[in-house]
Amino acid sequence: MTGRIELPQGTLDLLILRTLLSGAQHGWAISERVQQVSSEVLSIQQGSLYPALHRLERRGWIKARWGTSDNNRRAKYYELTRNGQKRLEEETEAWRKLAVAVEQVLEGA
Amino acid sequence: MLDDLRFRVRALFRHKAVEDELDEELRFHFDREVEKYIKQGMSADEAKRRARLVFGGHEQVKEDCRDARGTNFIELTIDDTKYAFRQLVMNPTFALVMILTLALSIGANSAIFSVINGVLLKKLPYPQPERLVRIFLSSQEYPKFPLNPWDFLDFRARNHSFEAIAAFTRGDVQISGDDGEPTKLNGFGITSGYFRVLGLRPELGREFDFQAEIPGNGLQAILSDRVWRTRFGADPNIIGRKITLNMQPFTVIGVMPPGTEHPGNEYHSVVYGESVDVWWPFSFAGDPNNRGSHFIEGIGRLKPGVSVGQAMAEMNAIMNQLSRELSGKDSGWKVLVIPLYAEVVGASRQMLLVLLGAVGIVLLIACANAANLLMVRASARQREIAVRLAMGAPRIRVVRQLLTESLLISCAGGALGLLIAFAGVRALVMLLPANFPRANDVHVSWPVLVFTLSVSLLTGILFGLAPALQASRTDPKDGLQKAARGTTSTRHQNRLRSVLVIAEVALASVLLIGAGLMLRTFLNLIHLDPGFKEDHLLTATVSLPHERYKSQQDRLLFYTRLITSLDSLPGVESAGAGSDLPWTGYDENAGGFRIEGKTPSAGQEFHARYHAATPDYFKAMGIPLLEGRAFNDGDKKGTTNVFVINESMATLYWPKEDVIGKRLTFEDNPKKDSDWITVVGVVGDVKDHPNSVGAEPAFWYPEYQAPDFDMTLAVRTQSDPRQAIDGLRQTVHQLNPGLAVADVKLMNEVADSSVATPRFTFALVGLFAGLAILLAAIGAYGVISYAVGQRAMEYGLRVALGAQRGDLLRMVLSQSARLAVSGVLIGVVLALCLGRVVRGLVYGVSPSDPLIMTAVVVLVLAVALLASYLPARRAAGADPMVALRAE
Repeated sequence: MTGRIELPQGTLDLLILRTLLSGAQHGWAISERVQQVSSEVLSIQQGSLYPALHRLERRGWIKARWGTSDNNRRAKYYELTRNGQKRLEEETEAWRKLAVAVEQVLEGA
Repeated sequence: MLDDLRFRVRALFRHKAVEDELDEELRFHFDREVEKYIKQGMSADEAKRRARLVFGGHEQVKEDCRDARGTNFIELTIDDTKYAFRQLVMNPTFALVMILTLALSIGANSAIFSVINGVLLKKLPYPQPERLVRIFLSSQEYPKFPLNPWDFLDFRARNHSFEAIAAFTRGDVQISGDDGEPTKLNGFGITSGYFRVLGLRPELGREFDFQAEIPGNGLQAILSDRVWRTRFGADPNIIGRKITLNMQPFTVIGVMPPGTEHPGNEYHSVVYGESVDVWWPFSFAGDPNNRGSHFIEGIGRLKPGVSVGQAMAEMNAIMNQLSRELSGKDSGWKVLVIPLYAEVVGASRQMLLVLLGAVGIVLLIACANAANLLMVRASARQREIAVRLAMGAPRIRVVRQLLTESLLISCAGGALGLLIAFAGVRALVMLLPANFPRANDVHVSWPVLVFTLSVSLLTGILFGLAPALQASRTDPKDGLQKAARGTTSTRHQNRLRSVLVIAEVALASVLLIGAGLMLRTFLNLIHLDPGFKEDHLLTATVSLPHERYKSQQDRLLFYTRLITSLDSLPGVESAGAGSDLPWTGYDENAGGFRIEGKTPSAGQEFHARYHAATPDYFKAMGIPLLEGRAFNDGDKKGTTNVFVINESMATLYWPKEDVIGKRLTFEDNPKKDSDWITVVGVVGDVKDHPNSVGAEPAFWYPEYQAPDFDMTLAVRTQSDPRQAIDGLRQTVHQLNPGLAVADVKLMNEVADSSVATPRFTFALVGLFAGLAILLAAIGAYGVISYAVGQRAMEYGLRVALGAQRGDLLRMVLSQSARLAVSGVLIGVVLALCLGRVVRGLVYGVSPSDPLIMTAVVVLVLAVALLASYLPARRAAGADPMVALRAE
């Protein structure tokens, strides 16, 4: 667990949406993928992943369907909706702006 | 937005499927996680432990997901409701008692609220009714007096506060000539613009213009929708048609639509509502400098933004100006501008608010009662609650659960109450006095439904919150231990429950005292000597058309013939005619006469009600002759002018003098003997209204000296006066088949309806008081019997130690008496403080009447002892062996 950082508030949605950009995934795969891509630095509290998925589904940014997983079990797959893609673009831009701004402050101080 | 809705709806209605899916989804995740760890080389057990650790509490995650779905609140509520329902079904007596008492109280509240809503809250049926006002004159002697027509014309010409003002005066007309029977119609003379002021338009034709106000132009009429339909078959060509009113041809120029409500009036009043049949143009002639005659009533529509106070100030300025121009001095008249709403509902407002207060108190008592019962039950359920708390249920969930139960009970009570309200409102409207303003507007309507729902929810929270909070404070450990031994409750709980019972008793005492006051008022009014004998007395009115009976001789002939024929009818004891009947709102005044040898006190003038009577009028009415003589057939035109006066006039103007033979005059400079009028008799007082403080001074002139067109008949019969009705009609029609015999009434029915309002108030307050004391008795019974149950062991021990059964009985009864005495004393103090509220509603009894107070104290004590007698018997029958074995 050492070296991992907790997710800042509100970034979980962004990470889920980004992960789904490359195609439909089930919950477990999403959490694995986030850790993998972030070189194991970011850890998703697995318990908080599912409420977030349900919330995103309710908002219409992702939609769920049942499919078959690679090991032949029924699994719930989530994929981005058109609204979700738009949302992802907005959130990404907002995040970048924030990151640049924070960086500037840190550098300047 | 739509996605959101679809999602929530699915979560809500496909609850089971959604939960199953969630379960499957989480299980899938968990299994994959375990697989991953196994692949990394862990043992199966270790992998599972690890996965559980990383994943967190399965149930917690599910709960969070439910939250995320946004339907958790509703789902919980459904669960709670199901649970609450099961609880109630398991304990049906408890549920039934609570629901029934609440249904009665909520139903009573909704019924009274329906009346309040229809009478007080609903707007008057005119556009912008808040701008409508009534205009009266007011002096020290006559606080609310009609206008003089000349004053009205000046008001109309000079004011700037009103969009328009108009005047109207009662003037019934007789319709005849078409196919129907001659009938008397409720009529009003109105000035031009009367309907414009009210904001109403004729459905056919138009209203009167200024031309119609000119004397001689007045043979026009506007009909009500009802008369147009019933009398003229809704003739579409009615406009311009000639109809016969008072045996003269009137041209119909308009028909008012249904829903044209009469705004009510003071002078010869007709009740508010669709009570007017025909309107005719008001016109008058005379001397503009002689403004003593007041008989028209003003109504006006304020300009937007002008307040009642501003209008009143302007009207008074105009009045002062007029006084200066006419006489150079103050006339003593002020102008009174009163909002129409206050005028229409003013008198009933206090009574209705008192009823609302009374019924609200009943509801409070029902709440206290329900809280009490719930607390008893919460103690019995301590174990269940303790278990739930021990299992980790948050306190808020327990409170929520218990509150759901109380809300379920109160809403069931509310639903049943609504049914009671539907029936109750119908009964209320039937019981309402016939002249009650806006009684026709009383229905169970949307506002009443909303009111019932809010009251149900509020009561549920009110009586459920305290017991729920208290129950949730149960210490799980304590609760489980105690519950194993039987039920107990803390001293704090016992105190709270005693306080609730004391409050119930106090509130019930207030209502009982109120009911006592209303009963005394009612009894005082029916036992009041009306000054005449109302039994065996038939009355009716007849109006002689001016055209046909032009000369006094014609009218004299008609009346003498009529009275003679009536006298000879079988079963008739005596028959007379007069200008009016008691208690009909008649208030004609004569002022400014001179009394020989007297001067009025400064700023005052001699005045009295004036009436007319035939010789046998007093005998037929049963008004006693106190001194001198009544009129006789010799009191005719051309003989000495004579008066009969009432006792009040005799004592007011001739105190301690022999009044027979005293004289008064209406002439400014009396010269000859015939200018004077001699008092020949004194009769007993009759008040204007049954509950008037005293009788007004009054005199009668002999009908035969100056026969009038309008006449009230009084016929005293030996047996049931109903049998004389046909004879009366036939007699009138033999003399003239075109005359209407109107307002046929039995005087005992008139007397009866005169006490309708106090009877109504008494009946309702009495009903509510009865309900209140019943609820309080249930409450007292509950507390005492619970306390007895708790102390059963103590009683057993006492018996074992030698206590007598009588001692135990006394002990329990005195506990109940203590509660009752505290309650009733607080109730008496409250009632004394509230006395002011009912002062206007009581008659002949003080709000602090000691007899009523004592009676209520005794009654409440008796009820309390009765309520605790059964539990006391149980205590006295305690078996010492049971107690010993149990320990």
